[in-house]
Amino acid sequence: MCNHTPVIPFRVQFQPGAPLYEQVVYAAKKALLAGQLRPGDPFPSVRAMSTALKINPNTAHKVQQHLLNEGLLEVKPGIGTVVAKRPASSRAAKNELLQEELEQLVVEAKKLGLTLDEVQAALGNHWVRLDGGNGGK
Amino acid sequence: MTGNVIVTHQLRMRFGRHVVLDGLDLQVPRGSIYALIGSSGAGKSTTLQILMNLLRGYQGSASVLGVECSHLSASGYARIGYVAEGQEMPDTMTAGEYLAHWRPFYPGWDVARERELLDLFRLPLDRKLKHLSRGMRMKIALASSLAYRPELILLDEPFSGLDPLVRDEFTEALLAHAEETTILISSHDLAEIESFASHVGFLDEGKLQFSEEMASLSRRFREIEVTLEAAFLPPKVPGSWVRTEAGASVVRFVETQWDGERTARAIREIFPQACEVTVRPMPLRSIFVTLAKAARKAA
Repeated sequence: MCNHTPVIPFRVQFQPGAPLYEQVVYAAKKALLAGQLRPGDPFPSVRAMSTALKINPNTAHKVQQHLLNEGLLEVKPGIGTVVAKRPASSRAAKNELLQEELEQLVVEAKKLGLTLDEVQAALGNHWVRLDGGNGGK
Repeated sequence: MTGNVIVTHQLRMRFGRHVVLDGLDLQVPRGSIYALIGSSGAGKSTTLQILMNLLRGYQGSASVLGVECSHLSASGYARIGYVAEGQEMPDTMTAGEYLAHWRPFYPGWDVARERELLDLFRLPLDRKLKHLSRGMRMKIALASSLAYRPELILLDEPFSGLDPLVRDEFTEALLAHAEETTILISSHDLAEIESFASHVGFLDEGKLQFSEEMASLSRRFREIEVTLEAAFLPPKVPGSWVRTEAGASVVRFVETQWDGERTARAIREIFPQACEVTVRPMPLRSIFVTLAKAARKAA
């Protein structure tokens, strides 16, 4: 038997405060919508998620149940849990995932007394900076 | 089977005139990963040693897997794993000999699992224990404790003095077996265990100052900051607000029973002139400090 470490196809930067389970669900959803996990791909088992992310197996189990209930994963007999086939993710669904960060940005900007124009300009700068050779797509 | 795997009631222990445990009531639910947190000298090791029947002379009661600790015998030990920081090991044995030595004592010893753990830990079986690093010795101790599939495993400061890589491997092995085992882990450092513990208890001054599920802790605590037009310290605030401090135009406090709607309503009533309210989730460390201070104050 080979001794490999299971690769978890998404990253979680644990933030204090929010429940771990929600943070992992969020990271997994982002990976699903961004296409890092494609329909039919095996989804990490509870044990693999638990050991790789160093989270309680119960937390990992809850994450898996949540994604199954939302129809993002499905159980394939003999294979395990895989990413479900689904209609191409809508822009609205992708947008939804950013709501929290956007709200936070707006709150901080308002506190500092910045205008919408100033925030948009700053956002634009970052966009261009991180785009590399991608031409703003 | 559900219920508690470990139960102590009014557990007391003293060494000479020094009282270490002063009425400890501890309950560890089956299937949990229970983190027993406390500073050095708080009585964590004493508690674990009593549970393993390594220390006699306690008062009150303490039971593991339904057996009073002072009556724990071979059949009980076969169901419990124990790994302690700096535990004594037969230095002249090799790692392989050490495992072979323990194997016959445990009817449930699982050779396949032993191999899995040896692979994960990359243990050099032919080296004498005295020539191995602290991390390697801890890994061998853990491997020899997990190999017989214990129902309960007690870990006394297992991460102390381990480098991050070893700590990571150690945690990984532990979590891979967590679904079938109850784990009690003592630590002086919250950060070591906060991502995977399901329950946390704080031991201080010989007592458990609080004990709670991790998920409920992070759910019910929020740090709240209210910005006001002019300084105002309300005469009376809900009992669940603690650590209230007021500056020129800012009031800050910790809500210990946070509930979005209800807390917002209370804030509107108490600070009708608030111009802004910020609600922040709190890192476990701050929650802990808040609770520990409250416990000391109440004592």
